[in-house]
Formats: sequence, C-alpha cells, structure tokens
Amino acid sequence: MRKAAIAASLVAAALIASGCGSGGSGEQGGKTKLTIATFGDFGYKDLYTEYMKLHPDIEVVERITKTEDHHKNLITHLAANSGASDIEAIEEGWAGQFTSQPGKFYNWMDYGGGDVKAQWPEWKWRAGSSASGVVIGLGTDVGGMAMCYRKDLFEKAGLPGDREAVSKLWPTWDDYISTGQKFMGAKLPGVTGFFDGPQVIYRSVLGQQPIGIYDGDKVVVDTNPGVKKAWDTTVKAMTVGLSAKVEAWSQDWNAGFAKGTFATIACPSWMTTIIQEQAKEHAGKWDIADIPGGTGNWGGSYLTLPKQGKNAKAAAELAKWLTAPEQQAKVFRTKGNFPSTVTLYKDAVITDYKSAFFNNAPIGQIYSKSVATMVPQFMGPKSGDINTAIINGLTRVQDGKQGADDSWAQVQKDVKALL
Amino acid sequence: MKPRKRTYLFLSVVALLSLFPFYYSIVVASHDNSVLGQVPPPLTLGGNLMNNLERAFGEDVHMVQGLINSLLASSVITFSQVFFATLAGFAFAKLKWRGKNAVLLFIIATMMVPTQLAVIPLFILMSNYELVGTLPAVIIPFLVSAFGVFFMTQYLTTAVPTELIEAARADGCTTIRIFWHVVLPAARPAAAVLGILTFLSAWNEFFWPLVVMNAENPTVQTVLSNLSSGRVADVSLILTGATIAIVPLIIVFSLLGKHIIGGIMQGAVKS
Amino acid sequence: MFRHKLYRLDLKASPYLYVAPFFVLFLAVGMFPLVYTAWVSMHDWTLVEESHTWIGFTNYTELLKDEYFWNALSNTLQILVLSSVPQLLMAIGLAHILNMRLKGSTFWRMSVLLPNITSVVAVAIIFGQLFGRDFGLINWVLGLFDLGHIDWRTGEASSVFAISVMINWRWTGYNALIYLAAMQAVPKDLYDAASLDGATSFQQLRRITIPAIRPTIIFTVIVSTIGGMQVLAEPLVFGVGSMTGGADRQFQTIALYLYELGFSRFDFGYASAAAWMMFVIILIAAGVNYLFTRRMRGAE
Repeated sequence: MRKAAIAASLVAAALIASGCGSGGSGEQGGKTKLTIATFGDFGYKDLYTEYMKLHPDIEVVERITKTEDHHKNLITHLAANSGASDIEAIEEGWAGQFTSQPGKFYNWMDYGGGDVKAQWPEWKWRAGSSASGVVIGLGTDVGGMAMCYRKDLFEKAGLPGDREAVSKLWPTWDDYISTGQKFMGAKLPGVTGFFDGPQVIYRSVLGQQPIGIYDGDKVVVDTNPGVKKAWDTTVKAMTVGLSAKVEAWSQDWNAGFAKGTFATIACPSWMTTIIQEQAKEHAGKWDIADIPGGTGNWGGSYLTLPKQGKNAKAAAELAKWLTAPEQQAKVFRTKGNFPSTVTLYKDAVITDYKSAFFNNAPIGQIYSKSVATMVPQFMGPKSGDINTAIINGLTRVQDGKQGADDSWAQVQKDVKALL
Repeated sequence: MKPRKRTYLFLSVVALLSLFPFYYSIVVASHDNSVLGQVPPPLTLGGNLMNNLERAFGEDVHMVQGLINSLLASSVITFSQVFFATLAGFAFAKLKWRGKNAVLLFIIATMMVPTQLAVIPLFILMSNYELVGTLPAVIIPFLVSAFGVFFMTQYLTTAVPTELIEAARADGCTTIRIFWHVVLPAARPAAAVLGILTFLSAWNEFFWPLVVMNAENPTVQTVLSNLSSGRVADVSLILTGATIAIVPLIIVFSLLGKHIIGGIMQGAVKS
Repeated sequence: MFRHKLYRLDLKASPYLYVAPFFVLFLAVGMFPLVYTAWVSMHDWTLVEESHTWIGFTNYTELLKDEYFWNALSNTLQILVLSSVPQLLMAIGLAHILNMRLKGSTFWRMSVLLPNITSVVAVAIIFGQLFGRDFGLINWVLGLFDLGHIDWRTGEASSVFAISVMINWRWTGYNALIYLAAMQAVPKDLYDAASLDGATSFQQLRRITIPAIRPTIIFTVIVSTIGGMQVLAEPLVFGVGSMTGGADRQFQTIALYLYELGFSRFDFGYASAAAWMMFVIILIAAGVNYLFTRRMRGAE
C-alpha cells in the first residue's frame, strides 16, 4: 500500500517535472521569454536578475553546456533550421564557422550595432563579422596574451627574475629563443624544457602577423610569409631543444605546472586560473611578463542572434546591455573574464588589478596592453582545422617523426584536402 | 561446481580493478580541481565533497530534473526494448515462417551502420513532429533495438527446447499463450541482462539528448555537459555529477541482477 | 472448423505480428536517417553552407584514394584484434566463474559491469595517469626496474596497445554478463553428472558450456566486431580529445575519422560517404568472423 502511494507520487512528480518541457521561447503570461545559450563562466547570472528588474516584461533563461558541445549543437540547430536559442554565444576558435554563414544570423548593424561599435578594438569587431561585412557577433570578453614564467627557476639559471627585466629579455621571438638557450644551459634538475610544447608559441606568433591563415576569404597557408614565420620560429625553438614535449591539457602538462618541468608558457588571461589551480603550492614562484612581439590574444567570445529566434528585438537589447562596458566591468570583478571594451582599459578596475598568486603582477595592465594594439586578422571557416593540421605538423617535428621540410610539405597537402 | 578459495581471491582482484575507478571518481569529487596536478595523485577522500554536491545540485544545474527525465526515459526504453526483443526473438528462434533468415540478417545489418551522423536527420524528423525539447524525443528513437532482437534470438535458440513448444501446441495452446507461459519465464535471465545493458546505454546516451533537449529540460548526461562547461573545466565538480549519475544505475542493477538466477529451466519444465 | 482456421491463422500470422513492432518503429525513426545519409553522400554538402551540389559517387572514389581513411582502417583492425579476442576469451572465463554457486553472487556479478558505467571523464583521468610519459604510474614502475620509459601517445604500437587495454578493461565484464545469461539456461544436472565423472572445471567449460551457448558466442563475436569497428570513445579520451588521433594519426580509428569529418570539418557529404563505406567494411568483417566462428564449430 505504502509502496504504491510512493510510486504514484513519484510518477506524479515526474509528470509535473517533465510537463513543462516545451523548449521554445515566446510569450508566457504576458512576459517575453528570452533564451540565451552559453558555454561556461560567462558570469551573467546576477546580470539577468538585474535586467529582469529593469525590464519586468522580460524573462531570461540561460542554457549552459560544455564549450565543444555547445558549438556542435549550434551548428546542428542551424543546419536543421530549428532549436537555436534567441541569443547564442560563440567562442573565438569557432567563430569562423559562423561568420561564414551570415545568412543564418541577424546583422547587428540592423539592430543598433553601429552605435556601440566604438566600444571594441577594431580586430575584435572584425572577427565577429563575415568576409562580406555582415556583423553577427558582439564581443564579450578577450583572452589577451602574456608570458607566464617561473621566477625562481629563472634566478637559479642566472637570468633576471624581475618582470620588467624579463620583459626586456625578449622584445622579439628570436630573443625569447636565445634566452631559452641560456636557461637550458644551466641544466636545472627536473627541468625538461623552456616551454611546454609547440602549440601556444605557434599560435602566439601567428596571431601577431597582419595576415594569417586567410587573406580575405582565401586560404593562403602556402604563400603567406606570416604563417611560414610562425612555423619557422616554432621549429627553431624546438630544434635547439627548448620544448618539454608535453601535450597541452594532458596529465603530464597539468603535473608539469606543479613540478616545474617547463619554465615558461605563453598564457592568455584564462590560463592563469589553470596555473593557479595546478601549481597551488607554488604561489609567488610564478610571475607574468610581456609576450615577445608585444601583442596577442587567445580566446574570447561573441553574442549572436540566430534568425530562428522570434524575439530578435528584445534579444538584441539584452545582448547589447550584457556587452556594454558597465556590465563587462561587473563580470570582470566577479569572474575575472577579461573585458573586450577598450574604454575600460583606462579604468581603475583594470589598471589597478593585480594577481597575488603571480607575485602581485599588474595583470590588468599587461593584458590590456597586449589586446589594445593587436592587428585585425580574419578568421575563416577552416581556421581551426588548418591550425590543427599545422600544430600536428609541428608535433611530428618535435617527436622526431618527420624532418621540418617533409612535415611542412605534408601540412600543405593536408590543408589542400581540407578545402 | 563449488568455488574454491582461490576463486574468491581471483574475483576479488577483478572486483578491485573494476571498482577502483569508481572509487577514484569519489576521491576526485571530494577534492578540488588542483587534484590533477598532484604527483602522486591523492588516493584518500578529501573534505570538499559536500561543497561539490551543493554545487552539483545548484538551482541552475537542473540535476533533479535531469535525473527524473533520465529515469523515466530509460525505464520506458528498457521495458519496450526488452519486451519487443523477446517477442521478435521468439519468432526468429522458434517459429517457422518464410523469409525469416533474410529478415534477421537485415536486422543485424542495421547495427553496422554508424550512428553518429543520424543526429541531423533525426533532429529534422523530431522537429517536424514538434517534439524537440520534450521527453518523447529521447524515447522514441530507442524503443526497439536490433541488438536486443539479435540477443534474444540467440539466447532463446538454446534456452527453450523446441519439444517444449511442440508439447504446448499439442495441448492446444495458442502462440501467444506459449509466449506468455513458456517463453517469457525461460527468458528471464536474458531479459534481466538485456534490461541492464539497455538501461545502461539509454542512461548514458549523450549526443542525441544534448541536441534535442536543452539545459532547462535536460537528461542526466546533458546536466554533466552543463557541469563541465567553462574554459577551465572543474574536474572535481564533473566527477561529483558523474558519481551522482551512477547511483541510480547501481540501484537498478542490483534490483535486476537478482533475476539472473539459475534453475529457471527446471521450474518451467515442471509446471 | 472455425477453430481450425483460427489455429492456422495463428500459426501463420503470429511470427509476422511479433516482428512487426520492430519494423514499424524502425521504419518510423531508423530508416529516414539511413536514406538521408545515403542521399547526402552523393552531394558536396557541408553543414555550414546553404547550397548542396549533386556529385554522384565522387565522395566514394575520393575516399578510396584517401590515405587517412586507410590509415584509420588499419589502426581500427589492429585495435580490433588486440581487444576483441582477449576480451571475449576473458569474458567466457569470468562468466564461467560467476556461474558457480558463489556467496554474494549479485555483488560479484554487478561489480564486473562497473568499468562500463564509470564516467568516461574518470576513465580519462585514470588512464591519463597510468599512461603519462613523465609522471605516469606505468613508467614509474618501469623506472624502478631501470627499463626506461615509454612515450605511450607518440608511438604507434604503444598507443594501439594502450587503447586496447582500455577497451578490454571497459568491455570484458559487459560480455561476461551476456555469457552468464546464456549459461543460466544450461541444465545444471549436466554439470553435476560431469562432476561425478571427475571432469575439471575447465573441462566442463569446454565440453558442456561452450557447445551449449554457441549461438550467444556467435552473437558476441558479431556484436563485438561491430563495436570494435566503431570504437570512438577510447581513442578520443586517450588522445586528450584530439580528433586526428595523434599528430601523425597514429591511433585514429575509422569512427574517429568519421567524427572528425562530420563534426570538426562539418563535411557532411564526405562523412556520410565514409559512414556507408564503414558499413560495407563492417559487413565484411562481421561476415568473416561469423564464418570463422562457424568453422570452429565444425572442427570440434
């Protein structure tokens, strides 16, 4: 008897719980329901509450999934012409997939994007636009780029440890490599490399070139000296023995931070979190200097309005509000996501921001410097896959599976197959 | 066949190898994210489990909703698959009809088509029936399975003696009565195993629910994707969620596991 | 007379009625995706472009020339052999033991299934720690005996081996449970009689159990061939999410290649062609294994 009652109430609860499951958005009880799909710590939760207070007729519902899942999901929903949310966030690394199909999104220029354009650095604005100039994404955060290094190991190897002096060691990547050779010459116990592996260096050098994988909507990996320069720099750094040969995100990489297997890693702002977590007991030993070449960015996102959405106008208002400088500052304060609005870079929120873990480095200034002067570089639909092919090529050289020339030839072949 | 001491020793080693990763999930869930960088890795429980549990059951995560949805969907799928598989398996294993072998081969062949790409056409299909975002969308595609039909066919071929069916027929039993009184009881161990495996795969189905449901009305696996969002994935939180997701499985398995018991044939023959 | 007619109708129609639910549901949800992918495979069709051009069998002819496809096939077959064979043999042995009159049998039976239900994230972390190059447990043990260390991911043989270990660990218990179900239907008095004749446990397994559960063995051989040809999670996890299965594609399986084509390059047309090619290859592999299993039956 009691069993039956429990079972019945369970079923009833389940039915109630699942009954509300129609996924769409729209008007409910006089309120406009806006759905926003994100993939991580956008840090918007409190902002929704605030926005709903300001706009009592709006209800905001967030749908969060893992970064990779989120983007595959969005591509599926766009291909099937149904299922997307009113606002969909996209990440820099995936943006090319979406800017290449501008027909699936509302153009921000039709929704007041032009009025707020000055907020962002030119490159950030351009990376959210299609080759034909349709603006599909408004910038949320950026990664920036700096060089994280082990101060204690530098000093042990007879190099300066102070961050100003370290920044002066490597105005260029060639200087970085010669510094690395000096460092490795000290043969510190337990240290197997100056940097972790080829991926981050390659990306950093490439990001500083005026033209990258794409020139307009054309892939120019075979002819563009910028790509070759990024390749050659990385190959040189590896051939003189600076790579610790660990794969990013692998277990050895995680442990490497704590164990000090490598002494430097080019680090966007979000990577400082990883270092802090993995090298918990080494607070104060890590420090942050400028990136060779001075500029760079890795990561950062955009908010888009898929054309499937039926509340474009209300959604546009919300997205513009979320990406406005005041809100970006709030998110930075609570979550540390580095803002993409240049106007904030002169604000005390950023200029006074220091990290205790990194020996009180003024990371607000370091990252905003790297971002503000960056040159715009167009990211096409295949940027991600082409970069994977190139990084695979570099890894083959590192592992001694292929000579640099053979590997480069194979990269060219792989890239052709991708197009 | 009485087991000896060293049999238990061997089984304990097997159980240890099997249990360790599960135990280790709990260990990681009870620490924080720094656990990945530690050499050697910690092997004992830390003090962060309650904190992670609180986060896993946080209000934006919809964990409870996910558990309920998965429980409902997996139960319906399991019941339907096992029932229809036993029915079809009986027809393939013990009944005589034209085209039987060809049809069975066709069913086996359908298992060989990789399913990864089916996501998009299936989504279009569900979208046409306006089922996107609702629980039936994760149930309907899995109501029957070739795996189950093939499994039951092979099992029933040896498990039910043909003489038994002929004897029942001679007694004037209709086919459905034979199914009900002879085949179903004999199928119990296999049905329990198939039930376990089906429940397991329905529960773990990942990419399809992710595409067709959403974070407001999720299944358990979509909730896990929610927990692993963020550029810096919090492994301790993910494994807390994963551990929560395993508990219902263990309960269901223990319930069904009792049905994999011997001596059923003897019972069936007697009655 | 009427009764007789009804009887004949029952005899004739029942089988069709019993398999009908499968086909009705399969036609409703299973058939459309198959036809759709076949249609897509004849097109130049990416997920991010609106226009799709008909190109006939071009995707298929290109696939035949695609060295990465053949590389993936070769990797898959190596992994298949290194995983299916030991896995099924161990599973039979394990099932045989689990079929004994054990104390706490439900516990033992359910514990063998645990590897299969443990979250893939946990599996990734644990095997990452086992197979780490610098700080991995296995290399640490090798180091104790001065046997050097292995760069598991970089080497071709070592990565194939490591992935096979993962598969064996995850799926042996699963198959053992399937065998166990079949063993339940073997009359117990056969074993009792054999015991009286002094047959050892291994002899009982060979002479009684294996012949009695042959259809189920054929089932597992075919199913694990299919599963082995479609293996995706283990190489993906082993490569820390790398869709190319290592920088040199040294451990990319066909399913992983298919995944790369479909969900990294979004080349849906080419991926669909690869899916259908994979179907044909699995068909051949399963057929070969079936014939092999049948021959073994004939030989005994």
